[in-house]
Amino acid sequence: MMTRKWIERIEGEASIGFEFEENKVSFSSITFPHFRGMEAILQSKPAMDALVITPRVCGICGHSHLFAAVRAIESVYANSGFPLEISPKAQILRELTLSLELIQNHFKWLYMVIYPELSHLLQRPIADSCRLKGAYAASLATKILAIFAGQWPHSSYMIPGGVTCDPTYVDTVRAMGILDELMRWFEKEVTGISMEEYLSISSAKDLSHVSGDMRDIDKMLRTAKMHKQGFSYDRYMVLGNHGFSNPAKYMHRRMAKVNPQLVMLEDPYTVNEKTYAKNALYQNNAFETGPLARAVTNGVPFIKYLHRYFRDSTYTRTMARSYETALLLNHCKMLLNSIKIDEPSFIEPLKKITSLSGEGVGIVEAPRGPLIHKVTLNKGIIDHYTLITPTQWNLACGSPQTPGPAQKAMIGADSIETATFTFRSFDVCSVCTTH
Amino acid sequence: MSDRVEAVKKLFTSKSSRIETNKGDTYYQELFVRCEARLNELRANTPANRLDFSDLLEENGIDRREFMKWASATTAMLMLPPMFTPLVADAAVMMNRAPVIWLELQDCAGNSEALLRADGPKIDEIVLDIISLEYHETLQAASGHQAEKQLEEAMEHFKGQYLLFVEGAIPMGMDGQYGTIGASGETFHDHLVRCAANAAAVVAVGSCATFGGIPAASPNPTGAVGVMDVIKNKPLINIPACPANPANMVGVILHYLLTGQVPELDSLLRPKFAFGYRIHDNCERRAHFDAGEYVEEWGDTGAQNNFCLYKMGCKGPMTFNNCSIVRYNEAVNWPIGVGRGCIGCSEPDFWDKYAYERPMANAKIKAPTGGVEKTVDEFGLGMLTAAGIGIAIHAAASAVAGKREKSGESHE
Repeated sequence: MMTRKWIERIEGEASIGFEFEENKVSFSSITFPHFRGMEAILQSKPAMDALVITPRVCGICGHSHLFAAVRAIESVYANSGFPLEISPKAQILRELTLSLELIQNHFKWLYMVIYPELSHLLQRPIADSCRLKGAYAASLATKILAIFAGQWPHSSYMIPGGVTCDPTYVDTVRAMGILDELMRWFEKEVTGISMEEYLSISSAKDLSHVSGDMRDIDKMLRTAKMHKQGFSYDRYMVLGNHGFSNPAKYMHRRMAKVNPQLVMLEDPYTVNEKTYAKNALYQNNAFETGPLARAVTNGVPFIKYLHRYFRDSTYTRTMARSYETALLLNHCKMLLNSIKIDEPSFIEPLKKITSLSGEGVGIVEAPRGPLIHKVTLNKGIIDHYTLITPTQWNLACGSPQTPGPAQKAMIGADSIETATFTFRSFDVCSVCTTH
Repeated sequence: MSDRVEAVKKLFTSKSSRIETNKGDTYYQELFVRCEARLNELRANTPANRLDFSDLLEENGIDRREFMKWASATTAMLMLPPMFTPLVADAAVMMNRAPVIWLELQDCAGNSEALLRADGPKIDEIVLDIISLEYHETLQAASGHQAEKQLEEAMEHFKGQYLLFVEGAIPMGMDGQYGTIGASGETFHDHLVRCAANAAAVVAVGSCATFGGIPAASPNPTGAVGVMDVIKNKPLINIPACPANPANMVGVILHYLLTGQVPELDSLLRPKFAFGYRIHDNCERRAHFDAGEYVEEWGDTGAQNNFCLYKMGCKGPMTFNNCSIVRYNEAVNWPIGVGRGCIGCSEPDFWDKYAYERPMANAKIKAPTGGVEKTVDEFGLGMLTAAGIGIAIHAAASAVAGKREKSGESHE
């Protein structure tokens, strides 16, 4: 029997069709019935236009797109024998604003999706203002972002060679003030313990010290038996290189090097359904991407501990994303402290972009995993542009023999509601998936 | 030199760039009485949601004084005299009596993100929180058939009263199959027409909904168009920009609550209170433009000293929007504040014509036409062409002046 379920409260929208066998989900198909044609739009435009157009692929991770586009153009420079020098200050600022985008995303996901959905699932009402809490935290993060990037969403402040902003001491102090406010809020509302203590958790005993909303969420996840379901392939992929991530793949309980050249796209599997999303694979294999993948390949003690006991259950996945928020807040603090304002923001490329030809690849870790931009330039004009987004990995629509990570995780769920919750634990974004 | 001064003077004193900010005592007194009556009428209605405005203010640590400060700033933004401040404050408290239905079509959800208080001063955000959002695909709790039912009910219950906010473009290519909604597979086009039928007014939010936006960028793969190309028989307000500023969304709703009417619009159907001035008119770097001090290359001394970004492709002089005043993300900053020129994101075709690093003079920019009657307002073709020429003269003159300075230095 096939039951269709329409999913909302995600960026854009998705539809899932469920098949049941003996009252358990046996297969599901994930479709995205809308399309904009971003790659075609980028074709034959000047390379620098990509810095304005690609962030607008997505309203929630546009900054990651900007960073990937800049890295792609810089890689064309490098491949044609003119590698660009990026000052440490510019590198720090780029990573700082990227981390802040991840933070705001995770807060919104936790308080606007996970917490209310859990309460809905368990029929345990929570305060209406829960959503506003997430919005408040997210707005503090984007405020810091705006100090350096001008606005969020849709900034274009990174350029090949550096960044346009030239922050003063006043700006960094102001940013630090807001970051401190956000971290204090996090300690008070989310964890109920100090940041230091939260970041040194490595066992269930340590976890029992957590109060605040995280305690509630943790309990509810276990009550809903989320630690016993939502298992996927237990294979992870991280491709972006940052201070908070380590490019590697994890397969058969082992880490290995990755080669982004081996990432491939395949058409989705659908029967009588329309979808505009393509599946992303690595050497024909599906991999899960995002915070859980980053934590496993980075050896984050607490998540490694959870992973050992609960593998890639919906519980582990949800905890990994929430925990990454704390890791990133701490990372931002370190980055802000290491900015040397007297360094240059921008170092001029030796070659004009209008005389630049060749190929380039830019990869960053977006909130949901690796984001790949591939560009071919001909005298500074875009010949070809390919976007591969993280949700194309996680929300891939494969056949019953080769389901994508989210499809596999939903198999065996006893109701559409629990399956949908597992789906949301991957942090759905449909506008990126189809672009 | 005198040519330049004349050209610039002419540009900024031309009649078409003026806004009528004082309409006379009689007008405002009549309006005041009308607004009061309307607010009394609204007060009698039951609020549509449970969130209480004063509770929320208190929760966020905002006192009455701060709130009244906001109300008076908002009154000024709406170009109303100070006597309207108490009415604006009342209207804000009654925001949960303005039924709003929000549709998301072909977009990136960036405007919803803005609505989620990604930016906007704190009180604007709270006001947005308590709007009676009867239906919003991304933010509401219901999903699936339940959500469709909710939409039907909201449209029936608030027939002829609700404001329909639309985010995203409408793909017309392939019979609308590039964007469908719900289990029925209804196209975005049909969905919009159906929801607009009983709306009091339609508000297009963001550049996709107003002018087609990025999806309509050449070669427009999906045949994307804006709301005004589809909805012809309804009062329509455009709030462009990418993303649209929440302050302007709040302004439009408040204005509607207060007066029951759409605010005064320009020829592209944008509210004049927000789009009546150019970025350039109130830019913090304007003094450098007037002094002929430009950033000539990224990272140069000019960039370090916050000089004018015109030569780096800033489109501020021909972009109508209030970002230079309202700014973004709780007024923390705005693009020009981080040394990146305006990309003109509230103007039609910015995605193809204005884009990144092309100074206006080289960008082959045609003035916006957008299929709207030009007679509604005087600004338009002539105005923007004049701006383009005037500024090109100014920049060229400064380049000459710059060269002179350089040669002067070499003599020393």
